[in-house]
Amino acid sequence: MPRAPRGSAPSRRPKAEPGASRPTEASAKTLDARYTEVAAPRFRIYIVDSGWNWPAHRVLIENFALIRDLQKDDPIYVLSREQSIEFQRRHGSRIGRDPIIAVHDMEALDQGGTAGFHGFRLVLGLLRTPQQALQGLQAFARFLATHRRSTDLEADIRADLRREGLMGAIEIILHHEAREMGE
Amino acid sequence: MPERFGDILTMVMGALAVGYVVYEIERRRRKLHEVWDVLDEEDAVLTEKLEEMVESGELQPYTGATLA
Repeated sequence: MPRAPRGSAPSRRPKAEPGASRPTEASAKTLDARYTEVAAPRFRIYIVDSGWNWPAHRVLIENFALIRDLQKDDPIYVLSREQSIEFQRRHGSRIGRDPIIAVHDMEALDQGGTAGFHGFRLVLGLLRTPQQALQGLQAFARFLATHRRSTDLEADIRADLRREGLMGAIEIILHHEAREMGE
Repeated sequence: MPERFGDILTMVMGALAVGYVVYEIERRRRKLHEVWDVLDEEDAVLTEKLEEMVESGELQPYTGATLA
C-alpha cells in the first residue's frame, strides 16, 4: 500500500553537524558545512527502461556514456530490465512510455518531501524518431548542467516550458507563412 | 452580393486559420508536458518507491561505462 506523501521528509543528504561548542572550531565547522553542501549531489537520476525497441531506447544506449560523463556530479541509478518491468506492472499508465528519466531534486525532497515539486522527468519513449530522442537527451543534459545551482528549479522548468511553447507557436506561424510564400 | 460573399468567406477562412494555429499550439503544449514535466504530488508514489529502492540498497549508482 502506498505511503502518504511526506510532509517533511528526513534529509537524505549528508549535512553538517550541529554547532560546535568551541569558538576555535567554529570557522572550521562552517567551512566543513559549506564543503558538505557543495559535495552532496543535488540530483538523483533514475533511468527506467524495460527495453521496448524504440528509437529512443537505442539512442539512450548509444549516448549513455556521454550523459554519464556530463553528469558526473550526480549518481545515476539504472533500473534493470526486470526492475523496470516490475515498476511498470505496478504503474500501468507508464507502459510503453519508457525509457523514462526521472530526476529527483534532493534539495526539494529534503525541504518538502514529495508533497510538492521535487524534480522533473523526461519521457523519452514518446519521442518517435532518433533525432527527437537525441534532441530530448541533449536538452536534458543541458538543463541539468545549467540549473544545477538554481534556487527555484520549478520556476526554471515552467519558464522553459513556456518558452518552448512560444517557440512552437512561432514555428507554426512561420511554417504557415513559408507555405503561403511558397505558393 | 459577390463582394459580401467574398468578405464572409475571407472571415470564415481567417477564423479557421486562427483556430488551427490555436489547436496546434495546444496540441504541442500537451505533448511537451507529456514528454518533459515536473514531478509533483501526482508522482509521489513513484518517487517514494525509487527512493526506497536506493535507501534499501536495492539500487546502486550505475558504474558501468555503457548500458547493456
